[in-house]
Amino acid sequence: MLLLRMAFRNLFRQYRRTILTALSIGGGYIVFVLSVSLVEGSYGNVIDIFTKDSVGHIQIHRKSYREKPKTYLTIDNRKELEELFHKESKIISFAPRVLSMALAYGKEKSTPVKVLGIDPNLESGVTRIKEKIFSGDYFDSIPNADGYYKAMIGSSIAKSLKINIGDELILIGQGAEGSIANDIFIVSSIVGNEDSFDRMTVYLPLIASQSFLSLSDEVHQYALLVNTPKRNVEIADELQETLSNLEVAPWQRIETTFYQTMQADKKGNNYTLVLIVFLVFVGVLNTILMSVLERTKEFGVIRAIGCRPSKLILLINLETMFLTFLSISLSLVIVIPMIYWFANTGFLLSEPIDMGGVMFQHMRGEFSLYVFLKPMIIIFITSMLVSLPPGFRAARMTPKNAMDIN
Amino acid sequence: MSMVIEIENLTRKYGKGIGEVVAINEISLNIEYGEFTAIIGPSGSGKSTLLNLIGGLDKSDSGSVLLAGRDIAKMSGSQMSDFRRDRIGFIFQAYNLIPVLSAEENIEYIMLLQGIPSVKRKERVQEMLFLVGLEGLGHRRPSELSGGQQQRVAVARAMASKPEIILADEPTANLDSKTGMALLDMMRQLNEDQGVTFVFSTHDEMIMKRARRLIHLRDGLVALDERNSNATP
Repeated sequence: MLLLRMAFRNLFRQYRRTILTALSIGGGYIVFVLSVSLVEGSYGNVIDIFTKDSVGHIQIHRKSYREKPKTYLTIDNRKELEELFHKESKIISFAPRVLSMALAYGKEKSTPVKVLGIDPNLESGVTRIKEKIFSGDYFDSIPNADGYYKAMIGSSIAKSLKINIGDELILIGQGAEGSIANDIFIVSSIVGNEDSFDRMTVYLPLIASQSFLSLSDEVHQYALLVNTPKRNVEIADELQETLSNLEVAPWQRIETTFYQTMQADKKGNNYTLVLIVFLVFVGVLNTILMSVLERTKEFGVIRAIGCRPSKLILLINLETMFLTFLSISLSLVIVIPMIYWFANTGFLLSEPIDMGGVMFQHMRGEFSLYVFLKPMIIIFITSMLVSLPPGFRAARMTPKNAMDIN
Repeated sequence: MSMVIEIENLTRKYGKGIGEVVAINEISLNIEYGEFTAIIGPSGSGKSTLLNLIGGLDKSDSGSVLLAGRDIAKMSGSQMSDFRRDRIGFIFQAYNLIPVLSAEENIEYIMLLQGIPSVKRKERVQEMLFLVGLEGLGHRRPSELSGGQQQRVAVARAMASKPEIILADEPTANLDSKTGMALLDMMRQLNEDQGVTFVFSTHDEMIMKRARRLIHLRDGLVALDERNSNATP
């Protein structure tokens, strides 16, 4: 306790310098927290947009489907699987999908397209498909009076084939058994714009896509949303243990390139943060060195009366840690409301930013323990390290030499 | 009587080449337990250097210092610190109290280093303050005490760890004669009552009159080592 009191009081011997150093550490901490909040918030936002655009947090396929996406490689035991999804509290929604490639015919032209069979009700619980309707209405699984199912098409298909809502769309592909698949659908809506990932996708009701590909009740993919997106890898691993005959993959493994680009970008941000910390602590190191130099004689006395060198290092270390604690405590008063506002209100960017193919315009930070704790831990560790050289310097001197310095 | 300090061929030089100064030149002497000794001599005779070498605050170039039978040159930095903490008390000319600690805390600090429990430390601090006549002033910081009071705190600090030896470097130099006399009486009392060995470096007449042994240094050599049969009681 006496050692703590001593360290604390030493801080206020040169209170102007202490205040300036505290401001420097506090300022560094605030910038650090803001950066982490911004990075985490932006990526959180991007990941949310990205995963809810189509991928989901976790995807399930038949084993080897992702390497060789053959139509016959389907998930068959749907009933059991969906019962499991309902039971598992970590899964908040799921969507079955049928995937295929086909040739689409419009009035005069044809184009290759991706066919995505979706359950209209379940899909809207996983992705923002409903919000992406550019014109027309979100479809259902009920055929019209003539027996034709509805289709939603990407904007590039509409433009390329010069078809619009209410027009016929002819799809030709290959069925699961190798037979020729062909059918007519009525365009009910146009999805997204020419920058959307699904600009060349034809959405069909699940039942219609199954019929088109001569499948019974099978699907190729399940996309899942989980209640804790940051733990999706862990949840995917847990599910994989239960579903050993299927492949359960988090979105990070499905969209590897996107994930790696994002990680690389994060690393770049970390270098910037390291630079901030370095600049702040060069100043702090200078302050501590000055304080040690000024008190060399006193340290000599302390050593003379029997203080071990290690305890002297501890004393200098404690002073620095106190200063850091004080600076961070005061900074928290400012930075908590700041980050709260940043996370809840944020601000609109004048131009949208393209991050890994996902556009976003609303900049929001993240408000979490991690955002405050990561910079705090790094700053405390740096403080501790920075106090060591001056501490060793003080501890190395012989008491006589130290006391001779005025 | 056994020796508490045994010095043999002790040499300490400063500087190199043409500027080399031999501060202590192959000094050998012994001091017994319970002695009240003054090392005297003109400025630059090596008094403080000798005291620093005895206390392990400085390193000799050659020779040895045995304290309570232990060769201090063979001790590591931490061992020397522990030895000073437990067995040697220091009193400096400039008091050298820790400015951010109160008088009580300055006295308590050395006991904290010794690992004495808080309750015992507090008790002993009060004893020490009583002993040096500073009851009621324990809460004051050094800057709020007079020179004499600060030196009393320094004596209390030196005594608090119950050392065998107290090394006092010009303890009365910054004090007026009345305060110096009172302090000296107090140290003499401690020497007689508790058997603590006192070694002073001084050129203060008052100390010389009270010391039972006078070691005269000149140019780093022991010019005279005499018993002071006329020491003032």
